[in-house]
Amino acid sequence: MRELTAEQVGALAAALDLPVTPEDVTEVTHRLNALIEALAPLAGLPLERVEPVPGFGDPSPS
Amino acid sequence: MSADRADVAFLGVRRLAALVRERKASPVEITRVFLERIERLDARLRAYITVLPDAALAAASRAETAVMRGETLGPLHGVPYAVKDQFDTAGVRTTSGSRILENHVPAEDATTISRLNAAGGVLLGKLNLTEFALGGTQQFPFGQPRNPWNLDHDPGGSSSGSGIAVAAGLCAASLGEDTGGSVRSPASFCGVVGLRPTWSRVSRHGSFPLSWSMDTPGPLTRTVEDAACLLQAIAGYDARDPLSSRVPVPDYTRALAGGVRGLRIGIIRELTFGAETDGEVREAVVEAARRLEQLGAVTEEISLRLVPLAGAIFMALADSDGAGVHYGWLRTRAADYDQGTRRRLLTASLIPAAIQQRAARARALLRAEMLDAFVRHDLLLCPTAHQAAPPIAAARGVITSRHEVAGRFFTRRSYVTPAALAGLPAIAVPCGFTRSGMPLSLQLIARHFDEATLLRAAHAYEQQCDWWTRRPPEAS
Repeated sequence: MRELTAEQVGALAAALDLPVTPEDVTEVTHRLNALIEALAPLAGLPLERVEPVPGFGDPSPS
Repeated sequence: MSADRADVAFLGVRRLAALVRERKASPVEITRVFLERIERLDARLRAYITVLPDAALAAASRAETAVMRGETLGPLHGVPYAVKDQFDTAGVRTTSGSRILENHVPAEDATTISRLNAAGGVLLGKLNLTEFALGGTQQFPFGQPRNPWNLDHDPGGSSSGSGIAVAAGLCAASLGEDTGGSVRSPASFCGVVGLRPTWSRVSRHGSFPLSWSMDTPGPLTRTVEDAACLLQAIAGYDARDPLSSRVPVPDYTRALAGGVRGLRIGIIRELTFGAETDGEVREAVVEAARRLEQLGAVTEEISLRLVPLAGAIFMALADSDGAGVHYGWLRTRAADYDQGTRRRLLTASLIPAAIQQRAARARALLRAEMLDAFVRHDLLLCPTAHQAAPPIAAARGVITSRHEVAGRFFTRRSYVTPAALAGLPAIAVPCGFTRSGMPLSLQLIARHFDEATLLRAAHAYEQQCDWWTRRPPEAS
């Protein structure tokens, strides 16, 4: 995924009706790009057949 | 009281309860000792948001009357405890560490509070935390919590006050909540025991939510035996939390005996020997593993390839859940959040669905990897944190690059979030001190609902050490 610009992040926040200051947008952009970058290695994992369920610990839930 | 007043605050739950039961100590006098210490020490430590002297003394007085009447006593009878201000308390404000809830007074107790009170506990007050149990608070609305081993250092979070209060003798035990390390991290930094039970083992009812599939209440105590005692009181199905487990609750205290002979323990290579792990931490944890071997456990290094990614996976998932919880207030009361909390929640609100979905699938894979490790091992072992408590100033200030984000948020979370993502029980146990006198912590992880083995091994290790007997300089 491409790195997001502050303008794009501001537009995304506006689309969600989230009020953000210019200072917020700058830092949120760093945070969001860092998270996307940190998760990039997941693209190399065999995830296609893995169901995205949390996995419950309880062997007999009822 | 047979014990010296100064020592009462450090006796712990089991010993205080025994003194009360044997009529060698008065619950009222014990409670006064803790209230006096809070009055004297907490202006510096800021463990508490709300102290309840009148209610605590009234509860202690009732406990004393019950003793004198020869009534049946609970395991915490007359023992003063405190709770993270994330848990609802009837008629007592519950802030979740935020200005947004500074006047919030719940009508009823959280299930965990009801159970601790029913066990005879005396509630001293509500403990400080990072705002809404998220990490990264820049300005704490109710005062900066400080580490009793060095006031300039971070006490850990999010259950910051829960760790400080136990370490500094401001309560006999405390309750925290661990979504992604929020019990174990402050336990690690403050040098106490912190237990994250299996997800669903303890009711979440009445605890302000962050992530429904990871939120887990758990005790912080001076000893493993005390952690077993508190878990016994709070564990078990609760109709008010439909996801709480009906799996029978064993006798955790009885399970402490037996030692570790024959237990197979896997030392997680990536977290113990990885480049991110501080040398003093590695040394202490390797020494702890050696002690467990001497006690009869069989240890071997194992590789769990996905655990270094756990911190980022956790933030993509738990923070997304949190963003959902907070969406309304983010739109209407954004300025009332601490800057660090607001920016973290805003970030989570904007995570693309494709990324979030990929993280959810990776979580399932990580969980499978960890469960596979339990085919050949009874316990997993690693540090609780990659370093001892850092200076408070290290996590302060505006983030100016994405590289800074990784250092501040992802690395340290990779040590505590694997158990959270997999729903497994884990315990943080003191295992030494740095040369500069800050506590170090060993983490053990067990199979789902096998807290008994977890506590047994932690107890066996603890009995071989004296780390837990030491008191921080800011506690005298």
